[in-house]
Amino acid sequence: MEFDLENPFTSLEEHQSDTVLDLFASESDHMPSQNFIQCLKITDFYVSFRQKAVSLILQAQFSCNFEPFVLYLAITYLDRFISRQEIQQGKPWVLRLTVVSCISLAAKVKNTNFSLSNFQREEGLIFDAQTIHRMELLILDVLNWRMRSITPFSFLCFFISLFEPKDPPLTQALKNRATDIVFRAHNEIKLLEFKPSVIAASAVLLSSHELFPLQFASFKTSILSCEHVNQENLLKCFDRMQEMVEMEGYESMLDTLWSSRTPLSVLDYQCTKSESEKTTSSSITTDAVTAEKREIKRRKMNGFCCESKFQLSRIQHC
Amino acid sequence: MEKYEKLEKVGEGTYGKVYKAKDKISGQLVALKKTRLEMDEEGIPPTALREVSLLQMLSQSLYVVRLLSVEHVDSSQKSATNNPSPDSASAVNTSNNKSNLYLVFEYLDTDLKKFIDSHRKGPNPRPLAPTLIQSFLYQLCKGVAHCHSHGVLHRDLKPQNLLLDKEKGILKIADLGLGRAFTVPLKSYTHEIVTLWYRAPEVLLGSTHYSTAVDMWSVGCIFAEMVRRQALFPGDSEFQQLLHIFRLLGTPAEKQWPGVTSLRDWHVYPIWEPQNLARAVPTLCPDGVDLLSSMLKYNPADRISAKAAMDHPYFDSLDKSQY
Repeated sequence: MEFDLENPFTSLEEHQSDTVLDLFASESDHMPSQNFIQCLKITDFYVSFRQKAVSLILQAQFSCNFEPFVLYLAITYLDRFISRQEIQQGKPWVLRLTVVSCISLAAKVKNTNFSLSNFQREEGLIFDAQTIHRMELLILDVLNWRMRSITPFSFLCFFISLFEPKDPPLTQALKNRATDIVFRAHNEIKLLEFKPSVIAASAVLLSSHELFPLQFASFKTSILSCEHVNQENLLKCFDRMQEMVEMEGYESMLDTLWSSRTPLSVLDYQCTKSESEKTTSSSITTDAVTAEKREIKRRKMNGFCCESKFQLSRIQHC
Repeated sequence: MEKYEKLEKVGEGTYGKVYKAKDKISGQLVALKKTRLEMDEEGIPPTALREVSLLQMLSQSLYVVRLLSVEHVDSSQKSATNNPSPDSASAVNTSNNKSNLYLVFEYLDTDLKKFIDSHRKGPNPRPLAPTLIQSFLYQLCKGVAHCHSHGVLHRDLKPQNLLLDKEKGILKIADLGLGRAFTVPLKSYTHEIVTLWYRAPEVLLGSTHYSTAVDMWSVGCIFAEMVRRQALFPGDSEFQQLLHIFRLLGTPAEKQWPGVTSLRDWHVYPIWEPQNLARAVPTLCPDGVDLLSSMLKYNPADRISAKAAMDHPYFDSLDKSQY
């Protein structure tokens, strides 16, 4: 039973319309609790806990070469877990243990190989397997074993199907851009309160705003008239998402070497890594060195500096 | 698990024991299904993880037995619900743990087998009301369509696995088991033979590619059994099972089922002509017979799907809005 975030029900053609209804009906079971979202607004501890945990998860992309969906899934587990389980303050290992266990669970659900020992070595963690397994069970218990998460990705195709004209290259471009936005939206605490379907609808809408401005108005009308979506929430989410993208545009202008990617975008890391791997079979070329320098710079900008790891990866490349 | 008081063992499911139990606080009756979990150095096995979360998702349908919670019981430690800490864990040094997973389901006190039995024997034998058969079959198709739309085959549908809420007249599919991803169970834990009566001919003939059609064959057999109050094809071995089917529906040939003679377990069988299906279910209306025959098509590709069955004229007289 493989699990595909875009298509969580592996459904047959014939059942497509029913599955979309099921998705809308049960998406709330796959969200952080509403109390928690209130809590995020008032407690610095949770805000900073989540930020640190998300950054640590995204780093795994770099050290373990995960596909982004695995890490996306891990963050959904993290959010649901910390929203339902009290976190002991003043114990930094709780954060790291939670992160490792969420990644490990996500890798199992996505049937991806995950080497705990590699990851721990890269991240300087030293939990024994037993501890992680017990934490996995605690997370499963708190999440009530609902691990086939319904995410915004599950709704993208549905909303894109409302787009006219139905021209495959256009809809594919729309989907790519919307996917990109959904990934970024996960880092934005202000967007956490919205249902996956609302995030998906906003991302698709925002993509059409950027890519196909002429079709935007009519597309907006058809999405807003969709009976499963709360208009008010959608518009609120759309505004916040637009703010997020504009902010990033501003930041990326500062970092001229990098196109329009968000500083935290996991895709960048992969990009750079494979680039340097390609070029370093015999020796490190200047390209690769500058690429890594850029990366260090970017990570410093994020307040996430881990020099030792860079050296380690340099050594491996040599 | 201290939450529950075990009352009695109610069955031996294909994958483990089933207990009737009571929630000590709320008094709610539940069915506890105990499954062994082999914990290796990877911790919780990925397959178990994926299948339980799939069950969790499926049980959102009214026509699938509701999975209330999942409890993990570790035999070497008390339970996993205490916050783990590195200090306490390092003291325990076992890498290979035997542990159990309890799936806690809602409890229903009767199933379709008991219900049919009570109409066949006992103090007041009588046929099942045609409207009740129609309603149960519709709910069954709806539940099966739900499973199929989530990419899940049941593969062991039988009256014992269909639980009934007699007061509300609701039928729910149970025993969507673990470990079904790859094999059809042949023997249960206790080596009791799993019933063959509802098994599709392609499975009996050793086909390795099953589709949703295997469940629709079972649905057809169950439909006929509700009408007849006895099994349609009561075989006691795989060979006998096939002969039962062939005697009623005729020995299949390449013409109506291309590829049948190249299936792994195909042999040369006596040639029977198809009988009139209506004679096997004499009290069933013509629309019902037509639906039954489309569920019992030999070629899996020709067999009706659960979703199409729900639109069959047999259900025209049913008020579908209440389901």
